[in-house]
Amino acid sequence: MNQFKTLMNKEWLEHWRNFSWIWVPITFILIGIMDPITTYYLPVLLEEFGGFEEEIIFEIPAMSGADVLMMSLSEYSMFGVLIIILLTMGTIAAERQSGVSDLILVKPISTVYYILSKWLTKVIFFITSFILGMLFSWYYTNLLFDSISFSEWFWTILFYSLWLIFVITLVVFYNTLFNKQAVVAGVSVLTLIIMSIINGVFSNRMPWFPNNISALIADMLNEGQISTDLWIAFFVMIAIISSLLLLSFTTFSKNEK
Amino acid sequence: MQLQVKKLTKDFNNIKAVDELSFELNQGECVALLGANGAGKTTTLRMLAGLLKPTDGTIEIEGSNGKKDVRSEIGYLPQHPVFHGWMTGMEFLVFVGKLAHLSQKEAKTRAIELLERVGISDAANMRIHKYSGGMKQRLGIAQSLIHQPRLLLMDEPVSSLDPIGRREVLTLLKELKKETTLLFSTHILNDAEEISDGLIVIDHGKIKEKGSLEALQKKYQNQKIDLHFETVEEKQIEEIEALEGIESVLATADGITCMVSDLDVARESVLNATLSHNWSLNYFTTGKTTLEDMFMEVLNQ
Repeated sequence: MNQFKTLMNKEWLEHWRNFSWIWVPITFILIGIMDPITTYYLPVLLEEFGGFEEEIIFEIPAMSGADVLMMSLSEYSMFGVLIIILLTMGTIAAERQSGVSDLILVKPISTVYYILSKWLTKVIFFITSFILGMLFSWYYTNLLFDSISFSEWFWTILFYSLWLIFVITLVVFYNTLFNKQAVVAGVSVLTLIIMSIINGVFSNRMPWFPNNISALIADMLNEGQISTDLWIAFFVMIAIISSLLLLSFTTFSKNEK
Repeated sequence: MQLQVKKLTKDFNNIKAVDELSFELNQGECVALLGANGAGKTTTLRMLAGLLKPTDGTIEIEGSNGKKDVRSEIGYLPQHPVFHGWMTGMEFLVFVGKLAHLSQKEAKTRAIELLERVGISDAANMRIHKYSGGMKQRLGIAQSLIHQPRLLLMDEPVSSLDPIGRREVLTLLKELKKETTLLFSTHILNDAEEISDGLIVIDHGKIKEKGSLEALQKKYQNQKIDLHFETVEEKQIEEIEALEGIESVLATADGITCMVSDLDVARESVLNATLSHNWSLNYFTTGKTTLEDMFMEVLNQ
């Protein structure tokens, strides 16, 4: 257990030293406030600079708080996921490629600790950033649009965090499989695209598919209750995350430089 | 007996990098793994350190049959040690020390001691990305010693150093071999002769020769004739090889070395041939072969 703490501390220190603890939360906060603010001021901006006729401006539909919160989520599913992939693609692969992992793995440590310390650090790091960003998004949504209750906000965070944790786990898994960062990033993006296509085609038959989580969260916000499909999606993702982690432990030991 | 390797083999895509290597290492012994680049030295050491899985064969390290992780008995220095550049030398040593089950306090004491010993205590609190190549090599040696391993595996410990650094590290290795069992690889025979008790010469993954330094020196002390000609032709070497009393011929840029079975016979036949063929002989010396000749012969095969 002490070794796990040592490995975690090292990851933590690394995130401090390369300033990730500063710029990632700030980026996530910017992503969170971007939509409530631009959506609110869009009519004003158009009026000021757009030079459109009166009628057009009135046709912009009024947004509900839930709509705006969902807009923020969709930004996280683009930019948030991209940042996660870029910052996680080398967590193990880069150490292997450079050879620094040789000095660590030759010490009597368990590879499970090694992988888990990396995974857990990234999870805490990105979920904290995500919660911070969503706090800002929630605040501006309540300020500028109609209000979202704490419990609605909380469930949104909980369910969507699981999707982000799934992305982290996927990238960590590919880290144990490939030694080149670019390959890890490419294969991760490819996997997410394929999953998204599968979701697009089969979303009627498999509403619990991980990629469908945003749509299910939107339903929850609109209807005010958590659907069975959302709970199924929740447990499906937990199952996928656990299996991917377990798989990482074996693929890591098999993969040789 | 501390380390026993039996028929150790490693395939990379059906190419045998290491081919049925068998040897033993006794407690306190210092042995050099000698071979050209690509002979399989690094692969062998990486397997012994547990970083690569052998395709076949066994590695037995004394004490490994118990529950204890073998790696806590092993110190390993890679050929080009790489560190986390954002850490200081001190931080890195404490980090790996704690991974080897030392307490924070023990790791710290040990780190200070080792930084002093390898001669980089001035740079203890400097970020490693500012270290020079020689300093990294020294830090690499320090990290391999942090948990006082009983078996030290070092991959080319001196080849990347300048002459002064090389001398200092060789002196350090001489001290270390009194404390632990040491197996190190090198492609330079002089380094091996200077510090090791025994040699294992490998080529294309196979053991060409092994034994104690003394025994090998004796074994390869054969009579030889060194020749140097103004011009040398391919045919000429074949003709020399065919002469009476000559066992084998090794041609290098410095001249031709002939291993001889009977010096008197060989001397006469070489000189006669030189006269009859009108070869432009520059010099002719007789002497005894050394390990260097044996090693060169292995490399040239």
